[in-house]
Amino acid sequence: MSRKLLLVDDAPIIRLKLKNILQAQNYEVVGEANNGVEAIEKYKELKPDLVTMDIVMPEKDGIEALGDILKIDSNAKVVMVTAIDQRDSLMKAIQLGAVDYIIKPFEDERVIEAINKAAG
Amino acid sequence: MNENNRIVVGIGDLKTGQAPSVIRTTLGSCIAVCLYDQQKKIGGMLHLMMADSRVAGNRPDMRRAKYADTGIPDLIDDLKNKHNVEVGSLKAKIFGGAKVLKVVTANIGEENEEAARKILKGYNISIVAAKTGGEKGYQVDFSLETGKIQCRIFGQEPEEY
Amino acid sequence: MSETTRLDKMIQLVAEQAIEKSSQVLSKLLKQGAKIELKQVSLMDIALVTEKMNEEDKEVVAAFIGLEGDAPFKFLFSVGMADALQITDLFLGQETGTTIAFDDMTASAVQEVGNILSSAISNVFSQDFQVEMKPTPPEVIQDYLGTLFQQFIMDLAMESDQILIIESKFKIVRSELDCYMYLLPLAGSTEALGMATGMK
Repeated sequence: MSRKLLLVDDAPIIRLKLKNILQAQNYEVVGEANNGVEAIEKYKELKPDLVTMDIVMPEKDGIEALGDILKIDSNAKVVMVTAIDQRDSLMKAIQLGAVDYIIKPFEDERVIEAINKAAG
Repeated sequence: MNENNRIVVGIGDLKTGQAPSVIRTTLGSCIAVCLYDQQKKIGGMLHLMMADSRVAGNRPDMRRAKYADTGIPDLIDDLKNKHNVEVGSLKAKIFGGAKVLKVVTANIGEENEEAARKILKGYNISIVAAKTGGEKGYQVDFSLETGKIQCRIFGQEPEEY
Repeated sequence: MSETTRLDKMIQLVAEQAIEKSSQVLSKLLKQGAKIELKQVSLMDIALVTEKMNEEDKEVVAAFIGLEGDAPFKFLFSVGMADALQITDLFLGQETGTTIAFDDMTASAVQEVGNILSSAISNVFSQDFQVEMKPTPPEVIQDYLGTLFQQFIMDLAMESDQILIIESKFKIVRSELDCYMYLLPLAGSTEALGMATGMK
């Protein structure tokens, strides 16, 4: 049974890239969100197995959305996908409960590795 | 168009000239005030950024062409003193005042237009054409040979005023 | 050396490092050599710099981003309309010429290149100079370069007749694309950088 993914990023082109990489690895993209507010709504609606989460987004950023999702579901598996390669942001995400992070620009292999690891 | 006849205006600046020159500028929230003497084929353009120079605290070194209330009088003075143009022979055309960026909340373009209209009225200079507002940039080419202005709003066909 | 000269040198140094990192990141993103060259770091008159922009008919798509934090900057990435189509193909690893019309995905490509470059710059500030900075979500607009550049500098131009502008031009080697990147330090940021680098 394929794992269900929710992709969260304000850039449709990033969501498309991730979708192309992960669908080829038999993941099923069940939903996409443009910002942190939509991410939380979609999470509640779709109950995905895994989430990829950008940090810099309008309405609500990814760190806040991560915290909100983990309040809804403490077992949520969220992998941050971000161009911010700064210790304070990444550590904050991990301490909040993100399972991993991928730094943009990403290689396909890094995405596959991180998502497979998160999927267990 | 012969490149040598082209006069280009940046923000907070004004330039005058005569036929066969063409005065060009590109606008966002700023307003271009174009003044023309049909008889003498002499004109000028002010590219103003703000309505009221009081924000500059009337510093002696302030750049007067940035503001409608100081820039328009200076444009008129330039035309009078450098080109012997009479105020009574001038007609005005105004362009610009768009709101290009969503992040900007104030409507500077509208304020600029309102100020320009008010000041020109004070000089009894008729505004014979105007194209303002919207959300896209303006490219304006003012022919000092004919007094006609070609205005191209981004994404649209050019129109003549 | 006067303080002004030291601050100028400091801005130059920081800009060079930030641009170098941006080059590396861009090459990795587009999977081909990209060279970003620092064209100038200079104090320019607002009328003269915009006069130069206004002379051309350039139509571009641009990403506007704020860099917020200890030393705030504004960032602008602009690319010609036709070149934006190629950027989309490179971004998606498609054959050049696949994207033939400007659409949401093209806008997104420019948005994300802007995001990645501005983030790379903020990462350099943070990691190498311990100056905390984070980018805002990009606003992507198509318009004349002259119009967009004026709006980019407008806040500062209202306060001052001269602005310090950091301009970079880049070429993506095999595709001969011309793109521009501008950084504009906001009030107080050069001093904050000076303090952080010990040059003030």
